[in-house]
Amino acid sequence: MKCTESKELMVAYVEGLLEESEKQAVTEHLKDCPACQAELQELTGLHDRLVTNGKALAQQSKIENDVMNQVIREQNTRLKAATRASDALKIRRTIMKSPITRIAAAAAIIVIAALGVNYIMAPSVTWAQVIEPILNARTIVFDLIIGSEDSGMVSHEIVVGSRIRRTMSNMPNMTLIIDMDNARMLALDTVGKTAIYTDISGDLGDSTRSYIKFVRQIITQLEDGQVERLGEQEIDGQKAILFVGKGHNEEVKIWADPKTACPMRVEAKIGQEYSFVMKNFEFDADVDESLVSMEVPDGYTQKKNEIALGNATEEDFVESLRIWAEIIGDGTFPAAIGTEATMQQMPTLVQKVTAMQVSEEKGTQIGMSFAKGMLFHQKISTQGIDWNYAGAGVKLGDASKAIFWYQPQGSATYRVIYGDLSVKDVAPENLPK
Amino acid sequence: MSENDKFYVERCLDGHPDDYRYLVRRYQGVLLANLVGKLGSRDRAEEAAQEALVRAYFNMGKLKKLDSFFSWLLGIADNVAKEHERKEQIQRQREIVRSSLQESSGTELSQDYALESAIAELPEAFRKVILLRYYGEHSCNQIAEQLDMPLGTVTKTLSRAYAMLRESLQQQKQAEVYEVSQ
Repeated sequence: MKCTESKELMVAYVEGLLEESEKQAVTEHLKDCPACQAELQELTGLHDRLVTNGKALAQQSKIENDVMNQVIREQNTRLKAATRASDALKIRRTIMKSPITRIAAAAAIIVIAALGVNYIMAPSVTWAQVIEPILNARTIVFDLIIGSEDSGMVSHEIVVGSRIRRTMSNMPNMTLIIDMDNARMLALDTVGKTAIYTDISGDLGDSTRSYIKFVRQIITQLEDGQVERLGEQEIDGQKAILFVGKGHNEEVKIWADPKTACPMRVEAKIGQEYSFVMKNFEFDADVDESLVSMEVPDGYTQKKNEIALGNATEEDFVESLRIWAEIIGDGTFPAAIGTEATMQQMPTLVQKVTAMQVSEEKGTQIGMSFAKGMLFHQKISTQGIDWNYAGAGVKLGDASKAIFWYQPQGSATYRVIYGDLSVKDVAPENLPK
Repeated sequence: MSENDKFYVERCLDGHPDDYRYLVRRYQGVLLANLVGKLGSRDRAEEAAQEALVRAYFNMGKLKKLDSFFSWLLGIADNVAKEHERKEQIQRQREIVRSSLQESSGTELSQDYALESAIAELPEAFRKVILLRYYGEHSCNQIAEQLDMPLGTVTKTLSRAYAMLRESLQQQKQAEVYEVSQ
């Protein structure tokens, strides 16, 4: 055997990997070759060094118990969160401890951030005397109910100038502070003591502007005599005067105190499904300005990444339908879509995303995609665009069933979304029945 | 602990977090060896190894090929190391470790730091084999199975890794001599 061959086999020799004949040959060669002996010594030295160091690291390691403790502790928290979230009516605080759920929740809330925008403006719709406190009060405190009063969630709102502080009944550990002027939102997790900023410009900002237009329009209609005074009614055990204002796509009812003319209750319906109730008003209540501060409060950690929503497109909407069917509905499209349904399904989404054990980043992305798509739906809904949802019970991937169609502004044809999430342009006469 | 990685990964995915212990036990030494050379101190390596293992557990759902747990875990550890890594700090750490090693060999810092940092610099294919063989106590046959390659390739990779380690250790020694003589 030559030295080159011997050296090539030397590591395998040290490792005891050679076949008997090769081993013999190397051993023979080594007897008469000082160079290869030196090589062997060197390699054996390195081998021993590796083995010794390997043993030292493995023996001294305390990692095992630390890792297991951390894994078991966090797993329990997440399991608890998932179990509790399954009861949609009783969301508990533990769920908010998970960073994923916190972000998913933050994303969810953005869906109704638009409502807040609409909704500051909407009351100013009616009679000058009734709207006077709404227009001029420095602070307004009230409860907002999205959807029907017995099943919808309640959002407690404190409005100071262009700032809103919002807490919601289905996410009790989440507080949102919204700065309308700068289109920014600060979400606070009051249990996890974390804070995150969200950019709500884009469509959300646009709806602020279009709502000012909306209010002016309604006021014009008021002068045209389109607001009716429907006389006295009893509401929550108190006498009230009811006014109804009707635009072409919106209807607003305001019940006012007959003595003070202060609004007691406002109901608004915009488009086909977008409705809310406001009640328990307090005007010019003494509100501490710090409640609507956009600064991160003491004791809170600010999460680094800002969330930005931007403009919602049809593509976003399709993606949110996919999330709805795939993640929330286990492969089936929901019975109904819209703001109220979105808010009701949010705990389920949070639960499923938690159970998927995805990264915080991915969880955020899912939450944002879902919210953004629903924002698109909200947008077409409030613009008075004709839309139809027929996806109840349809399986994801079923290309034969149309699940949603709408007629974009200025378009002669409809956009139709199918169960496989393909989208086609369809003439009105060919729409599904 | 004779079951393969896939078995334990599936146990974890089926909701038996306790079984993760076997994977931790199997790879903690490997991860430490991989990280200590990169991060410059044992404490930092332990911290990073722990983080990598916890992160791996909660992301296990994303592991596509269940039998490639080790390679995937090593990737996570490398990412964690990158995150932890701030070059100047490491440089400083290395100096401190090096000088304290020279001053007090035989104390608790007696681990072979030169060797560890040489391993950290190996290209991934070679690093994996060295780590599994000496820090994960795998036989060459087990490595062949684990990394899905013929035994001959494992042997060749190991030989080449030895050569690289020798070269790297040699260079380190020369650098030290140079430093001392300055």
